Amino acid sequence: MSLINYSSREINCKIVYYGPGLCGKTTNLQHIYSRVPQETRGKMISLATEMDRTLFFDFLPLELGQIRGFRTRFHLYTVPGQVYYNASRKLILKGVDGIVFVADSQIDRFDANVESLMNMHDNLSEHGLATEKIPMVLQYNKRDLPRVVSVPDLEKELNPNQAPYFEAVALRGSGVFDTLKVACKLVLKTLG
Amino acid sequence: MVKGNWALFEEDFWSINQILQTLMRSASSRSVMLIDKTGQLINSIGEPPGFDVTSFSSLAAADFAANAQLAEMVGEKDFATLVHQGANESLYLSMIANRVILVVLFDKKTSLGLVRLKARRATDELIVVLNRLFNKLSYKNEDALTTNLGADFQTEAESEIDSLFKD
Repeated sequence: MSLINYSSREINCKIVYYGPGLCGKTTNLQHIYSRVPQETRGKMISLATEMDRTLFFDFLPLELGQIRGFRTRFHLYTVPGQVYYNASRKLILKGVDGIVFVADSQIDRFDANVESLMNMHDNLSEHGLATEKIPMVLQYNKRDLPRVVSVPDLEKELNPNQAPYFEAVALRGSGVFDTLKVACKLVLKTLG
Repeated sequence: MVKGNWALFEEDFWSINQILQTLMRSASSRSVMLIDKTGQLINSIGEPPGFDVTSFSSLAAADFAANAQLAEMVGEKDFATLVHQGANESLYLSMIANRVILVVLFDKKTSLGLVRLKARRATDELIVVLNRLFNKLSYKNEDALTTNLGADFQTEAESEIDSLFKD
């Protein structure tokens, strides 16, 4: 839920990275953190297990600076991908302004993508939100690996609303900023 | 023109500011924060905290959200108040109007009892201000909620996004 504070002249928006376990959501945020100018990024918070699996969420605030007199910020969150952390996923979606759905392109993760997308629909509807009304970008990650599903097949199954999509190799940073840029712009459009 | 899912106007901001100032002084606390329940900081009063308030806000909201689920599991509607007591620093958190979280950061110079008492008074006053604000938001039409940022806002924001978010 975007919050506009007319007195302190701030606009804050929330973008959530969603997707199945180990699809690369945290990797996306880590790459963004490592590449944006220091004055643009806040502290990155990761609530993870000892094995570096996301337990509750990762959080990275990004500040665009003053736009027409308003400090404009994007708060990036990831959800824990593992199936049994659904309660946490639902909480993180509260007040979401835009979603990046990170799909794992590997053939043997295809069903996990579909399951995660269905889970996202369910969790959004529990917050009274319709998926088609929320700005969304899809990222087909791990395109460098052997045995990946073709992009047309991923599109057919995961992107019926024809949201913008990007192919990515988040570990190397490829496609990460393309995805983020479009997600941020789509969110700003819903404000305007 | 830009509009938000919810917005805070100048007069409401200063009313809230006044209530938080009074709370901080009367409870002898170090600082007081008001955070939207989705984790966005609305206002912070008192000693400039030695930590990142943006991250703090997201964690406080997550803390509340997780505890609300725990409350439901044990058959409670919610846990309206949370207290975290440390050896030196403590936190008092309270959900107001199911929309914002009041956070009081205090140390050994005061007591939890006093903080709780003063926070309850401040909560009653904040509910009045917030209800006024929410009524305003629901009755005003969308045009009235837009601000005069001008049509250039989007273009300027997009160009900033392009220049900052790149490898």
